[in-house]
Parts: sequence; structure tokens; C-alpha cells
Amino acid sequence: MQTADVFEWLEYSHLAVYIRQSPLLFPAIEIVHIIGFIFLVGSAFLFDLRLLGIARKLSVKEVAGYVLPWSRRSLLIVVPSGLLLFISQATALSTNGVFGLKLILILVAFTNAAIFHRFTFPTVSNWSASEIPVAAKAAALISLVLWTAVISCGRLIAYF
Amino acid sequence: MFILVSIKSKDMKRNIFDGKGKQVALLFIILSLFAFAPLHHGWSSYDQTKPLNFTGTILETGYENPHGMIKLEVKKKKWTVVLAPPARMESRGLTQDMLKVGATATVVGYPHLKVKDEMRAERITIDNKTTELR
Repeated sequence: MQTADVFEWLEYSHLAVYIRQSPLLFPAIEIVHIIGFIFLVGSAFLFDLRLLGIARKLSVKEVAGYVLPWSRRSLLIVVPSGLLLFISQATALSTNGVFGLKLILILVAFTNAAIFHRFTFPTVSNWSASEIPVAAKAAALISLVLWTAVISCGRLIAYF
Repeated sequence: MFILVSIKSKDMKRNIFDGKGKQVALLFIILSLFAFAPLHHGWSSYDQTKPLNFTGTILETGYENPHGMIKLEVKKKKWTVVLAPPARMESRGLTQDMLKVGATATVVGYPHLKVKDEMRAERITIDNKTTELR
């Protein structure tokens, strides 16, 4: 079985056909996906802004403790809704360059977050309120750029 | 590049993340990120300077999300005609039953800029009933 056959099989599965043919299920899943990434990206952005010096009255640790769990929880609805949207258009999406770019950007964004949490964030207790390490600021800027690009790609899939 | 532009601005040169201009700078950065997004609008893949008006026989139909479609035979040529989302077609009175294989349909629309024999329909007429699709 070739990869292309897998996408075709997914697209013609009962579930995918049902999603396509139901007038309101498809947009409903899109809405769930959007609400999900509002939490995923919104929380990440608020944390990034804190690292870049916004809202200094709040400690970095507390902001992280509040917003980042929401980012992680949101994956529970972003990923399944995204998979459902994917299977409903699997063959077209598998050859869509913008969709491919989106997946690569997501991978890079997660890698950026992983590097930050592995190497930079563990020393947070030693950071002073006004001096955020350059590595943290860089990770924040990269995160803002990457997630913005991911959302843009998501929106632009339909136009290419 | 947009980030570099904001960093170059004079009053922020000392420390971009300090002082009064900080929030403005960040807002500027974020807004600039979005500036490249609206390059395309719906229908942009279709050449709206070349309206087509075809009457033909429906060979295939798809009443599916995100867009319905029909294959229309027009003078021995097979066109893929992209319609609207099913929920919109239904609310405007173009039901799934009306898009029957073998029925005669008239479509007004625009050819795809790259995909040969594909068009997006502005409106469709079946059984003397015209439905706007945009």
C-alpha cells in the first residue's frame, strides 16, 4: 500500500465522508479547532510577551504556571479536531504545499519550546524581575513569529 | 525583516525592551507579522475578468464540504464546477435532490487561473431556479 493510498483510504472512510456530507459538522469542527488554538497560541503569546518585558509586576514563574498548562490542555482539542479536518480532505492536503509548510513550522515551534523548557527555563528562580536572559527573549520572539506563521499557513491552505 | 525595522528605530536603539516605546514596539512587531497574511482573498484563484456562461448536463455531483461541485458536460467538454458549501446551498433553496446526474444546469462563473477545465460558479440555474452561490 502506497502512502497516497492511505490518504485516499482516509478520505473515503465512513467518518471522513460523514464529515464532508453533514452540512454543519465540518464548520463545527473548524470552530472547535479555532477555539483550541486560541488557547494554544494565545497562552504562548501572553507568556512570550512576559518574557519580552510586558507585565513585569507578574513573576515569570507565576505567569508560566497559569498560562502554559492551558497551552498544553488545548492540544487535547486542537489535535483531534485537526486530524478530523485533515482526513476529510486527506488527498488534497497531502499534496498542499502550504499545509506541508504548516506542519514543518509546528514542528519547529515545538522544538523551540522544548529547547526553552529544557535549557533556559529551569533557571527561572535565579532571574531578576528586570533581567530576562537573552536566550529566553530570543525563544519568545521565535515563538511569536513561528505561531503567527502557523496560523497564517492554516488560513492560507484554502487559497493555494 | 519587520523585526529589524522596529529595532532600527532610533529611540529604541539602546534597549528595545526598555522604556516607554517598548509596548508600542511589540505591538508593531506583532501587527507587522500579520501584514503578509491577507495576500489572497476568496475567489482569487479564479480569473474574474473572464466570466463564463455554460449550459450543460450534470455528469457527477458532490454535495460536500467545504464546497459542493458538479461535473458538467458542455459541448463534449467536461468542466469541474465548484459550488458553495452545502449549508449555504441548502439555505438558499438549492437542495441535494436538485443536483441530479443527467439534469440540465446553467452556470455563470470564472475559470481557474491554473487548473484547466475548472471553474467557480457565481450562480447556477436548474429547472428555471437560479441560486446565487457567493
